[in-house]
Amino acid sequence: MTEKQNHIIYGKDGKPTKDRPWIFRTYAGHTNVWATNELYRDNLSKGQTGLSIALDLPTQCGYSSEHPIAKPEIGKVGVPINTLDDFHVLFDNIPLEEMNTSMTINGTAMWLLSLYVALAEERGVTVAELKGTTQNDLIKEYLARGTYIFPPEDSMRLIVDMYEYCLHNIPSWNASNICSYHLQEAGATPVQELAFALVTAITILDAIKERDCFTEEEFERCVGRISFFVNAGMRFVEEVSKMRAFCEMWDEITQKRYGVKNEKYRRFRYGVQVNSLGLTAEQPENNAWRILIETLGVTLSRKARCRALQLPAWNEALSLPRPWDQQWSLRIQQILAYETDLLEYPDLLDGSHVIESKVKDLKAQAYSEIEKILDMGGGVEAVKSGYMKSALVASQSARMARLSSGEQVVVGKNKWVEGLASPLVGGSDGGIFMVDAKAAQKTIEALQKTIQTRDQSRVDAALARLVEEARSDKNLMEASIECAKARVTTGEWSAALRSVFGEFRPPTGVDGQSLTIDTDTLKAVRAKIAAFIEKYGYRPRMVVGKPGLDGHSNGAEMISVSARHAGFDVIYFGIRLSAEEIVQSAIEENVDVIGVSLLSGSHNEIMKQLFDELEKSGAKDGIPVVLGGIIPEPDYAGLQRLGVKKIFTPKDFDPMQVMSEIMDVINEQKQVKA
Amino acid sequence: MISTELESLVASAGRLEKWPLAKLISLFETETEESKQSRQQVMSYLQAQHKDGPGGFVLGITGTPGAGKSSLIGELCLSLLASADGLSVAVLAVDPSSQSSGGALLGDRTRTQLPVSNPRIFFRSQASDLDLGGVGRKTFQVVRLLRYFFDLVIIETVGIGQSEVEVKTLSDHTVLVMQPLAGDQVQFMKAGVMEVPDTFVVNKCDEDSLAKKSYHLLKSSLKLVHIYVGAEGDGNKQIFLTSALKQKGIGELADFVMSQISLAGNRQSLQNLEAYYLKKQVARVYGTYGLAVLERYEKSGLSMLKTFEEKEQAIFQLLGAALPAVDSYCQVLSW
Repeated sequence: MTEKQNHIIYGKDGKPTKDRPWIFRTYAGHTNVWATNELYRDNLSKGQTGLSIALDLPTQCGYSSEHPIAKPEIGKVGVPINTLDDFHVLFDNIPLEEMNTSMTINGTAMWLLSLYVALAEERGVTVAELKGTTQNDLIKEYLARGTYIFPPEDSMRLIVDMYEYCLHNIPSWNASNICSYHLQEAGATPVQELAFALVTAITILDAIKERDCFTEEEFERCVGRISFFVNAGMRFVEEVSKMRAFCEMWDEITQKRYGVKNEKYRRFRYGVQVNSLGLTAEQPENNAWRILIETLGVTLSRKARCRALQLPAWNEALSLPRPWDQQWSLRIQQILAYETDLLEYPDLLDGSHVIESKVKDLKAQAYSEIEKILDMGGGVEAVKSGYMKSALVASQSARMARLSSGEQVVVGKNKWVEGLASPLVGGSDGGIFMVDAKAAQKTIEALQKTIQTRDQSRVDAALARLVEEARSDKNLMEASIECAKARVTTGEWSAALRSVFGEFRPPTGVDGQSLTIDTDTLKAVRAKIAAFIEKYGYRPRMVVGKPGLDGHSNGAEMISVSARHAGFDVIYFGIRLSAEEIVQSAIEENVDVIGVSLLSGSHNEIMKQLFDELEKSGAKDGIPVVLGGIIPEPDYAGLQRLGVKKIFTPKDFDPMQVMSEIMDVINEQKQVKA
Repeated sequence: MISTELESLVASAGRLEKWPLAKLISLFETETEESKQSRQQVMSYLQAQHKDGPGGFVLGITGTPGAGKSSLIGELCLSLLASADGLSVAVLAVDPSSQSSGGALLGDRTRTQLPVSNPRIFFRSQASDLDLGGVGRKTFQVVRLLRYFFDLVIIETVGIGQSEVEVKTLSDHTVLVMQPLAGDQVQFMKAGVMEVPDTFVVNKCDEDSLAKKSYHLLKSSLKLVHIYVGAEGDGNKQIFLTSALKQKGIGELADFVMSQISLAGNRQSLQNLEAYYLKKQVARVYGTYGLAVLERYEKSGLSMLKTFEEKEQAIFQLLGAALPAVDSYCQVLSW
C-alpha cells in the first residue's frame, strides 16, 4: 500500500475522496402559507437541500393572527401559522420524510413541533423518520431576540420535555439548537459568544440530567442531539479560530462534565447564518462580498466546518429580502462548494502555529467566563440577574463607540463613503420587498373557517388536558399533539400555558451602562442640552420603546444608553408595547420626544396606530415622534405625512449625531409652542 | 391669586386627567423663576381648597437593585385597583442620574405592567439629579403635590443606606424589599439602617420552601440587631413574603397597605416636611451659617408666611442680601 498523502482526504475504504457539501438553506417564509409553499417548492427546485422556516412574529410570540397585537405583523418577517390546517397548506406537495426542516421558533417551539408531528401522522408519514430542528433556545431570546413568553424555569421545562419526547420518538430531530448567532448580533465578542452559548448548552444538559429520564446510553445520544447555530462576522481569521475553539471545548465539556464516551456524540454540530450586523445600508452592493468573506470563517477549516449554511441577503439592512436576493446568496454557497476545490482537502489549518495559539487564547478566556457564570448559579440565574444581558449591552456600546470614532473601519459607512449610485437599488420596486397587505386577510379567513368547522368539545378537552398537565410535571408533548390535531390555535395553546406559567420580562441590561464616546459631536450635543436646561429649567425628557412584537431591542437599547450619555433623562420602556401604552406613557412622563424603534417591516401600520392614539389623546401636535429602524426609503414620505419628525436608519451610525438631531426636533417643537 | 390657566390645569388634574397632571408635575420639577411663581400659586390655591391638608398617604418602597421592587409595585397596584373601589394611586419611581453626563436612564416603567388607560393609576419616572442616594428636592416637590390628588402615593427608590433615611422623611410608611435569603446580609448592615423600614418584604419567593427559609433567616437576623418582628415585638414591624412573578402574597400586602391608609393620624404633616426641606435647601447653599440665619428668621417673621415657596424666597432673599455688602467690603479691601 502506498503512503498516504497529507493533502488528500481518504474515505473509509482507504481510497481518495472528497467531502459532500454542507446543507444549503435559505431562511424563508412570508405573507401567508400559500405564498410560502410556492416559495419553498421553487427553492427546492433550485437546488436548495433543506427548509429553513421563518415564522411571523405573532406565531413566534404565541398570538393567533386575529389578536389586535398580531394584525400589523401578519406575514411580515415570516409565515403565519394558526392551526394544523395551515401546516397542511405550507407543506403541500413537499415530501416530509425527505426534508430536513429547520424552524426558527422558540417561545412556541413545542407547539410548532407538535403541529409537525400531527401533520406527519395525518399524512401517514412515520414520525420516527422526521428530520429537523426547532431552534428552541430561550436563553438567547431573553438576551437578544425577544420572542420569549414564559419564565426561564418553565421554558427550560418545555425544552427538556421536547428532548425527552424526541429521543424516544423522533431520534433524528434536534429538539433545540443553541444559538450564539443572535448573541453576536447583540454585540457579543467571540469570547462571549463561545462562553454564553456553551453555558446555555450546559444549562440544558444539567436540566436534563436533573430530570433523570434517560439511561446512560440514552443520555449520550441526547448529548449527541445538541446542535448549535452560530454567527460568523468579517474578522474571518478570528471566526475560524472561534469555530475550532467551539469544537474543542464542546468535546472537552461533554467528556469531562458529562462523561460522554462515544466520540461521535461529542462532536460540535452546527449550522450557520453569517453576520447581518456588519451589513451596511450604505453602498449595499458591498454586502455581497462581505457575505462571501464571512462564509469563509465557517467553511475553511474542515474540522470545524458547518453542517448547514444560510446566508443573509445583500439588502438586509434596507428591507426584508426578495426571492431574487435570496437566490443570489444561495449562488454564493453553490459557487464556493462546487466551483472551488475547497471540499477536496483535509483540514487546511491543522499545524498552523498562529491558529493554534489564537484558539488557545480564545478557549482560556471563554473557560474563565463560563466558570464565572456557573459560579453565579448557571444560565438561568445569569438571565434573571441580567448579568449576561448587561455584558452584551456593554460590548455593543463599545462597538458603537469604535464605529463612531472611526477606529473600526466599515467601507462605505465611515470610510470611502463617496461612491457611484448603485444600479441594484434602482429597480421599479426600489430593490426592496413589500408584503401584500391583502394577504393577511386570507390568513384570518382560513383561521375563522377552521374555528367554525372544528369540533369544539374536542378543542375544550384538549386545552383542559394541556392546562392540567402543565400544572403537574407531566411531559407536555402528547397533550400538545392532541391540541394540534383538535385544531387548537397558536393563540389558544399559548394562552393556556400563559395561564399556568405566567409571562416573563427579563432585565433590559441598560441600567448602569455607560459609553466611552468623547467626540466633538458629543460636545456639541451636550452644549445644546445645557442651553436647553438654562432656558427651560429642566433636562430634556425622551421615552424610548418598541411597539409591536419585534423583540430585537439592540437599537432601542443603544439609543437609550446614548441618550443618557448625551444628557437626556430617558425613560426606557422596553419591548412588546401597544401604541396606546407608548402614547399614554409619553403623556404621563410629559416627555419632549417619543423615540420608536422598529425592524420587522410593520412600521407603516404601527406608526399609523401610534398617531391615531396621539390624536385621540390630543397630543398629536404636542409631542414629536422620531423613528429608527430598517425603514425603506419609499416609505419615508408616507411616514412624514403621518407626522414622523425624523427617521433614522442603520446609516445613522453616530449616536451623538442622532442625539443632536433629536435635540433639534425638540427645540423646533418648543419654538412652535412658544 | 392663581392664573386662569393654572386653575384649569389644577382642575383637570383634580379629575385625574393624565396630561394635565403630567404637566403639573413637570412644573414642580422645573427650576425657573417663573415655575417658582406658578408653584406658589398652585400650592396656595390647593392649601386654600384643602383646609385639613392633603389626604394622600405616602408609601416609601426601597431596596437593593435586583430585589424586584418595580415588578412588586406593579402587582401591588393591580391588586389595590382591583380590591379597593375608587382608590387612586400614583407611583413616583426615582432612579439615579449619571454623574458624568447628568442624564439618566429611567427603566422602572418597563418592569411595571400597569393598565395605562386607567385614570386611577398614574406612573411617573424621575431622575435623582445630583442628589446622592436617590430621592431629593424634586421628589419632595412632586410628592407634596401628588398628596393632594391621589389617595396613595408610592415612592420607589434604590436603597443604598443613606437614602432610606431620606425616603422615611418623605413617607408615612416605609417598606424595605429584599431578595430571598438576603437576611444574613442584615448583620452586615448598620442596625440604624435596619430600624428605618416599618415593614420588610422578601420578594421573589417563587417557591414556598424558599419563602419559609427566608422568613426565618430574616427574622433571626433582625433579632441580632434587636429588631423584633410579629408576636415577639410590639406588633408594629412585620415581614411579608411575596412573589411578583407567581403572584403570591400580593393580596396580603395590599390589604396591609389599605389598613395603613385608613388609619387616621398616621400622616406626616406637610408643614414639618416643608420645614425639613427648607432647612436642607438652605444648608446646601449656605451651610451652617445659612441654618443659623434661618433659625433666627423662623422665630421672627418667617412663620407668618404660608407656603414653602414664600418662605424659600424670603430666606434666600435675606441670605442673598448680604452678598452686595460682601462685594463692597472686598472692594474696599482691594483699594
